Amino acid sequence: MSRLAQQKSSPVARRDGGAVRPPGDSLLTPQDGELPTRQMDRMSLSYSTHTDSPATEVCPVCKSTKYMNPNLKFLVNPVCYHKMCESCVDRLFSHGPAPCPIKGCSETLRKNRFRKQTFEDIKVEREVDIRKKVAQVFNRREEEFASLREYNDYLNDVEDITFNLINNIDIEETQRRFKNHEDKWKENIVENASLAQQEQMLYAEQQKAEREQAKRRREEARREEMEERKEAEATRRDMLRRLENGQDPEEVKKERAAVQLKKRQNRQDAANRQSQLKAADATNGSSSFVIKGLKNKKAKLEPEAPVDPFGGLTFEHSYFSLQDDYVWEGLREAKRDPLIAAGGYDIASFTGRALCEAFSGLGVMVADEAVERERLNEPETLSTTKAEIAAKDVKMEDPF
Amino acid sequence: MAEHVAKSPALDVPPEPPAKRIKLSPQPKKQDADDSGPASPSATPLVADLAEQLDAQERNKYVKGKKLGSGQYADVFSAYLVTDPTQLVAIKKIKVGAEVKEMGISYDSLREIRFLQELDHPNIIKLYSVFSTKNQNLNLVLEQLPQGDLLKLIQDTQNISYTPADVKAWMLMLMRAVHFCHANFILHRDIKPNNLLIAANGEIKLADFGLARSFADPYQPMTYNTITIWYRPPELFFQAQFYGGAVDVWSCGAVFAELISRDVLFRAWPESEMNMVKLICEKVGTPTEENWPGVSKLKGYVTPTEIQPVRPKDYWLANFRTIGEIGVDLLMKMLTLDPKVRLSAEGVLKHEYWTSAPRPSKLEALPRKGGGIEVMGEDLKRRGGEVPGKENERGDKVARKIDFGAAK
Repeated sequence: MSRLAQQKSSPVARRDGGAVRPPGDSLLTPQDGELPTRQMDRMSLSYSTHTDSPATEVCPVCKSTKYMNPNLKFLVNPVCYHKMCESCVDRLFSHGPAPCPIKGCSETLRKNRFRKQTFEDIKVEREVDIRKKVAQVFNRREEEFASLREYNDYLNDVEDITFNLINNIDIEETQRRFKNHEDKWKENIVENASLAQQEQMLYAEQQKAEREQAKRRREEARREEMEERKEAEATRRDMLRRLENGQDPEEVKKERAAVQLKKRQNRQDAANRQSQLKAADATNGSSSFVIKGLKNKKAKLEPEAPVDPFGGLTFEHSYFSLQDDYVWEGLREAKRDPLIAAGGYDIASFTGRALCEAFSGLGVMVADEAVERERLNEPETLSTTKAEIAAKDVKMEDPF
Repeated sequence: MAEHVAKSPALDVPPEPPAKRIKLSPQPKKQDADDSGPASPSATPLVADLAEQLDAQERNKYVKGKKLGSGQYADVFSAYLVTDPTQLVAIKKIKVGAEVKEMGISYDSLREIRFLQELDHPNIIKLYSVFSTKNQNLNLVLEQLPQGDLLKLIQDTQNISYTPADVKAWMLMLMRAVHFCHANFILHRDIKPNNLLIAANGEIKLADFGLARSFADPYQPMTYNTITIWYRPPELFFQAQFYGGAVDVWSCGAVFAELISRDVLFRAWPESEMNMVKLICEKVGTPTEENWPGVSKLKGYVTPTEIQPVRPKDYWLANFRTIGEIGVDLLMKMLTLDPKVRLSAEGVLKHEYWTSAPRPSKLEALPRKGGGIEVMGEDLKRRGGEVPGKENERGDKVARKIDFGAAK
């Protein structure tokens, strides 16, 4: 499917003309939360003519401007996405639902649904809303699929639906698919939603813990640094005092070096102990070490098909049916012969074989096969030509 | 070869004539070197008849690797495709024996080529190609099955344990192969654990069609001196010359029992036919006119004087409890004395054992490591009918003594 082509052919921008509505429009009943449709296109163009400088934004209802009233706030309703100022919304919708005041738009709007616009481009705003809504219903997870391929197919379907809804392509059919999926996966959707919520919470917690840890580490480092500086200062003073008291400078120098070495060793030991403790913690499983992005995949097991002892292999003969008895004295005599019967010789296997060999090769068109072979350009070897003897009617399938 | 001899100064005898046939009418080579693949032009003689060209073309498709096994009857080499070195095959090079001198080809290889090239089933070893090398040596290009054979698995009681579900999976694969042979009117006549090779993916492949033959016409006698003695059904000990697929089913039953108890069911020692009959009488029951109508008419009908009534189900259950009651029922029906009553391969597959619990194990869950690639070499070089592991001992060629005069 070429989305680009469809996008081009769809009436993306149509002038505000409201009088003539396409017949399809009446079928779209934009109630609360319903996905908006063509009004969108009508409006979007008129909007874009005014977006050039936000300072001169004009409320399309009361015509007050941002220039005159710096406190002017614009709100939109996700039913039709027509923009109007806060005071207009208060004025028009305080007494319950009322029709949209924009000419040519007859949607009934409610005050509580009005909200501030997040994106400057109203089309983006609408697309985000639609995507949110679709994502709420199509929330199956990768783990539910046996293979990546299946999951990708599913994602492709979801994107098709989303795209159609955004660009008003095949709206009825798409809405139907949407509804079907919602009905079919009702429980799963709720389950996955709660799962997603849990994950979100868990993730937030982890993030918080990580931040906390980082903070602790930073503080620790700062404290250590301070202590070190303080110590250095203290030793320096000590040395100066000794020198004042008239001690031998060489000796003082030596002493100081010894003290410093000792201190450094102490610090190193402490650090070693700390890291050992941490390692022990990690082995106990209480470490906060997390590998992000790893998850264990588990496809939901599908019930296995019952065992087919024949492995999909059937020996049906389309040209004959085997009889129990044939009027032929030789065969009947053999049947009566105790020596033949006692050894386990089966007359039916002989008759079956004879018939099979008589009919094998019928329906095999050598000329056609030769043409086919030439087409495939397969070098034929004389020594291992696969001669299918009696197995002409054999159907081979996967053995397991 | 001639060159080599000529270089040796110690030998003053004239060099042997080349063993190849002398072309009476040398034809110019029709195909160019690029036609015969990447082989060097010297590999194919410039002057060759069409058959030899085709042979060389086939031969040059493979690159022979190291020797996997060597025996009296054949050498086995590992090899791969010239065009795709990841495609491994095994080349069984049949040694020139007395039979070959006499008739140009040995019976075993004739049978093997004849049947294997027609059978195409996931549980039967594939024969990709046949070609000859110098001295008219016959080379069979077979599927490479690197996981050894079922016998190694059964015997390695130390390291390998398996479940009834695994037994079911193996038996199912074996029975499918046997059913496929029988449905194509071929008797294998040498089913035993070391002819069941294991593919890389764990699949069982029936191999060694050196004793196989197609179903006989009525009154066309077959030899009764076939099938490795431990797996041979009673009708062959009684020298029945008219038999059918039931002989293979008995062998399968013996393999089934061996898989369960991890010991040969009828291990007659010494391996004489009399001892085998005695063992069968003891373990299954003495064949009499009551349980096997017409048995006394068979040429070699002899039984021990002490008559053992046919063993009841309880007896079997005591020995093979692990596969469950349904499994024991199938085992009894596969090891029924009277070949007419014994289940056919199709009947075995229709038994409820396969569909009842436990489900047969998946291929990837089956135990492996029944030996390596060398085991395949061992298996392929052996001749049909030999009891494994006792070469050059008394009785190891029992099944070999096929009386072709009688079988005509």
